Amino acid sequence: MSSNRSLEPSALSLNDLPWQIRYSNDRCTLCGQCTAVCPVQAIELKVFQKRILKTSVQPEKKHTADYDSFYGIRQKTRVENACIGCAMCAMVCPNDAIAPVKNPGLDRLKFHINQNGIPRRRGGRRNSSQSVLDRIKFIRISMLTDPALDAGRHEFEMRTLLGRVLSPRENMKRLKEKGWIPPVREIYPLIIGGMSFGALSPTMWEGLQMGVAYLNEELSMPVRICTGEGGCPPRLLRSRFLKYVILQIASGYFGWDEIIHAIPHMKEDPCAIEIKYGQGAKPGDGGLLMWHKVNKLIAAIRGVPQGVSLPSPPTHQTQYSIEESVAKMILSMSMAWGFRVPVYPKISASSTSLAVLNNLARNDYASGLAIDGEDGGTGAAYTVSMDHMGHPIASCIRDNYLNLIKIGKQNEIPIFAGGGVGKNGNLSANAAALIMLGASGVQIGKYAMQAAAGCVGTEEDRCNVCNLGICPKGITSQDPRLYRRLDPEDVAQRIVDLFVSFDTELKKIVAPLGRSTSLPIGMSDALGIDDLAAAERLSIKYVV
Amino acid sequence: MKNQAFIKLSGRKDNKRIPSRVLEEIIHHHIKNGRRNIEVEGYGQHGIGGRLWDAGADETHIRIIGQSGQRAGSFGHFGTRIEIMGPASDDVGWLNAGAEIIVHGNASNGVMNGAAQGKVYIGGSIGARGMTMTKRNPRFEPPELWVLGSSGDYFGEFMAGGIAVICGHNKDPKASVLGYRPLVGMVGGRVFARGNIEGFSQKDAKPISVSDEDWNWLMTGLEVFLSKIQKKELLPSLSIRSDWQLIEARSAREKTDSSEKPSMARFRNQVWDRELGRGGLIGDLEEIERGSIPVITRGDLRRYIPVWEQGRYMAPCEAACPTGIPVQERWSMVRQDNVDEAIAMGLQYTPFPATVCGWLCPSPCMASCTRNQNHMSPINVKLLGKAGETVKLPKTAPKSKKKIAVIGAGPGGISAAWQLTLKGHTATLFDTGDTIGGKISSVIPGSRIPKDTLETELKRVKEFIPDIRLGQAMDKKDFLKIKYDYDFTIVAAGAKKPRMLPVPGIEHAVSANDFLEAAKKDKAKPGKRVVIIGAGNVGCDVATEAHRLGAKTITLIDIQKPAAFGKEKEDAEAVGATFRWPCFTKEITKAGVVLTDGEVLKADTVVVSIGDVPDLTFLDESIKTEKGFIFVDAYNRTSDPRVFAIGDAVGPGLITDAIGAGRKAAIVIDRIIDGKSPDGDAPLPRIDKQRISLEYYNPKNRADTLKDCGSDCASCGKCKDCGICVAVCPEGAIERIEKDKQGFEYRVDPDLCIGCGFCKGACPCGIWDLIPNAAL
Repeated sequence: MSSNRSLEPSALSLNDLPWQIRYSNDRCTLCGQCTAVCPVQAIELKVFQKRILKTSVQPEKKHTADYDSFYGIRQKTRVENACIGCAMCAMVCPNDAIAPVKNPGLDRLKFHINQNGIPRRRGGRRNSSQSVLDRIKFIRISMLTDPALDAGRHEFEMRTLLGRVLSPRENMKRLKEKGWIPPVREIYPLIIGGMSFGALSPTMWEGLQMGVAYLNEELSMPVRICTGEGGCPPRLLRSRFLKYVILQIASGYFGWDEIIHAIPHMKEDPCAIEIKYGQGAKPGDGGLLMWHKVNKLIAAIRGVPQGVSLPSPPTHQTQYSIEESVAKMILSMSMAWGFRVPVYPKISASSTSLAVLNNLARNDYASGLAIDGEDGGTGAAYTVSMDHMGHPIASCIRDNYLNLIKIGKQNEIPIFAGGGVGKNGNLSANAAALIMLGASGVQIGKYAMQAAAGCVGTEEDRCNVCNLGICPKGITSQDPRLYRRLDPEDVAQRIVDLFVSFDTELKKIVAPLGRSTSLPIGMSDALGIDDLAAAERLSIKYVV
Repeated sequence: MKNQAFIKLSGRKDNKRIPSRVLEEIIHHHIKNGRRNIEVEGYGQHGIGGRLWDAGADETHIRIIGQSGQRAGSFGHFGTRIEIMGPASDDVGWLNAGAEIIVHGNASNGVMNGAAQGKVYIGGSIGARGMTMTKRNPRFEPPELWVLGSSGDYFGEFMAGGIAVICGHNKDPKASVLGYRPLVGMVGGRVFARGNIEGFSQKDAKPISVSDEDWNWLMTGLEVFLSKIQKKELLPSLSIRSDWQLIEARSAREKTDSSEKPSMARFRNQVWDRELGRGGLIGDLEEIERGSIPVITRGDLRRYIPVWEQGRYMAPCEAACPTGIPVQERWSMVRQDNVDEAIAMGLQYTPFPATVCGWLCPSPCMASCTRNQNHMSPINVKLLGKAGETVKLPKTAPKSKKKIAVIGAGPGGISAAWQLTLKGHTATLFDTGDTIGGKISSVIPGSRIPKDTLETELKRVKEFIPDIRLGQAMDKKDFLKIKYDYDFTIVAAGAKKPRMLPVPGIEHAVSANDFLEAAKKDKAKPGKRVVIIGAGNVGCDVATEAHRLGAKTITLIDIQKPAAFGKEKEDAEAVGATFRWPCFTKEITKAGVVLTDGEVLKADTVVVSIGDVPDLTFLDESIKTEKGFIFVDAYNRTSDPRVFAIGDAVGPGLITDAIGAGRKAAIVIDRIIDGKSPDGDAPLPRIDKQRISLEYYNPKNRADTLKDCGSDCASCGKCKDCGICVAVCPEGAIERIEKDKQGFEYRVDPDLCIGCGFCKGACPCGIWDLIPNAAL
């Protein structure tokens, strides 16, 4: 930095940055790997100057003041080069000479990350480690009361239903009259939520799909994965693996003509169709895949020309009311596959979600409702949407489930919960809590990225550059130089590890409840929390 | 004692079942009394035949008739033999620690659960969860369970030791002799089974072949077993070796190492790619090589690549010089010991290297020197300029036949004529005055430029430009004649007409130019008190000269903050001149200057120094003017395309601006003569000073020789050929290539380079950049 400089308002010092590079000149080998790997060019080789003073109190000895130069790694302080804390430098450093450290409280960057009047946008998460779900305990343990089950020994059917379950009376009636009975899928209660081909790199996407196929075909776990809104590779549409896939349609309708073209050639029906109305991470906001990310591959899969920006508006055009959205959209999508495929909407958690649920309850074609809470992840959103908009998932799911009970349909429309499940690593506990609060299943996204591909994002605003296409792990990049860091096979293997271990943990939680053949959906007497207000709000036990 | 007859006990008294606790007491009472053979008629009492350790090492034989009850023989002791004459209830031999138990019928659930020693012989089949949680204590023989028939479900769960033999006698061959989901969680022990063993936990146990030793053990034991249950006749049918299978627990190591699941690589090849086609999910759209690439990559896989940007940017000094002198190139010559050439080069750009660069110019090049960034002294270009005084005339290009008239022999006009002459054209200089040099010679005080220097350089000009016509009056007619006689005309008439204030009494004041001209000839007599209206640099020159000629009180007034700067201002301040502002002149009287607020600044001489305007009366109507100055386009061309205008006639500026404009006009004219577009090559963009590393230089050095200046010059944007990049590159990817004509180049081997940018970071001159690699 020039010493003879004037200060601009956005001139930052190292102290102002959220992530600071801790660097040891003594250990550094000057090998260049850290600067080569840094995704944001936050560090560079720099020539430094040193003044060497040699003085003496002996008058006959001369004082000298010489200058010498030396080399080292320097962190840049420009806003656009601010370190994101991904620690790739630490990962490649052969001598542990460098690592980013979180600024404990002097971060001023946030006041300057709106250069040229553009508010901050980022990928990732809400960056709040608070979690009501983490605080929920499973307090009902069978101690001689129920037939205690052994998670390691007993057989469990960890399955849930995706689809509209008619009341027994109605079902019998339709059977007798040979009427239409809604399609229902028996699936694993942990679902990989919608992450588009485009938001994710090709290697990541393939890895997730491969892992899911493996779980189904080698381990007989009926795990399902949602495509997100970005179309679906033609080969997958025409393969038997399609039955493990929930196809998502959203306001951009990307790739849907390709899907329509593929319908006559499908070997299998997809598991379900998810109509996306909202995303928990950025409720009420849409998405935009920037033109520079729309390369040949993305363009082919989304059915658009290369190099055009692809907006997904916040709303679906032509749908102006709940009634219309529910009736028109669900009916169309059901019709596409001859009413053989469950169709359900996905909405952002909101204080208005009960209205949606009540509407669905009146419509036989509605197969369920997915609700995405504020802690959900995203590939790109305005920080203000991510940090300050949305509804926590726990209370939203609870409200909706209790409402179903009120109208007597708690066994008829499944609710799926998503958004921050396992955000602090407690996947199975969070999932089980949501199930016992009333969810029929849970959707995960970020957790899969972290566990299966080593996403470095944390709730401490680490990395969060999914929107820039520079993902250091190759998870959200369309640049082969980055996404080829990821081997789909490794991702698939980690997905398998994730689900198998999740399965063990889920059993550990439900076994003491004496449940082995059906999920404890809404079994809220098993839940407790050490917060009176939260306990009252969620209608669960207050335990201290 | 051994042959002692059986004492018969009944579990019933007075037609009522006695409690388990009481029956236990009775049995123990007899044992304590030395009885060792006891027959108990059970009525479902719990735990008959267990915990008989009071018998010590004696053999004890309990025979149970009737209903044996749950947990018969539990906590069984070494030396105890229990024989249940009919079927047995749950948990026979539970926690058996050594007893031999014979059941002559079927046994229900939990046979031998938790047993660690002893032998249990079942003459029928057993229920669920037999042989579960059994262990083997290394101090003793392992527990054994012999079953004639088959087992119920969940056999051998968590079995940790012991041997079970399931004979499968009379078993439906289709059904497993071990029941449903046997051996889950098995960690030790072995199971011999005769018949179908499907469905056991492969994760925990594995079938192994029956060795001769195993077989012999089995046959020996089988004979004993059959005799115990009195079914010796079955021996031949149970002794067919091929009917038997042996299952063993997998070791802990085997469990972690072995995976019954296929590897993901296999799944990808055999299932994934087979269903989707070669290349998997998107193999039809894009070919992606299998496997992953390293985090640090080379060649095409680098995200960023270094580029050696020699000559792509202009140094700040050159970019700042209105004359356009490539300053740092000259220092580069100095570094290469071409000092003379470096000095001589000045004459290619300016006729006044010493006068202007060395003395009069405020040196924008030095003001923009990168070194200022770190508070280091700028490279002193004045040394190089002053050295230019003695340089001999440069060579000119071959003569062309083109004639260009230059009106005005000031610095701008001389510069234009100089450049045209260099390019081989014939330039004629016209001036109304009797000397050349314009304001340099006529108004700039001698204190600012040594007389000899100026004269030497003017002499050189006269030598170089032979056709100089002085004392030429110029009117419209003369101008029109010149315009038509010459191919091109350059108007460099300067701004010689002083601007005067429109205030009463202005006739009492003198213009700065008139004063300075007179002063230069020592003819001015300013008196003791001088007031100068207009505190610019010319005003400062007036102040300095007035002081030289005897003035004691010198006041410069201005309506705004004085614009004076640099040497001129310092000199004025040094002679005690005071600056006052804002002051608004109302009128000028014999007494001095009267300000609008009524104050009178007493003065013997009042000098008006608020700038000059050109005298353009000689121009014809085809030459457009604007606000008293000649209007020109970006090429310094007037509204008449064959007439150019430069210098103060176009707008006020520095001497170097006029010299630069003269050079520019000459270049444009030369290009037009050559039939080229007036646009030359676009100037290079100025280098970003942040690219320069000043840390290599001693910041306290104030170079005062040409040599030191050369070595302290950071050579912004021009490679010093220091080779630091070669040394710094961690991969040894940079090589210096010698090119023809003394040229050189630093080249990167892409197959070695990792794109770390160290070359960029270390480069003292900012030549290396790191740019994103082209998209794949």
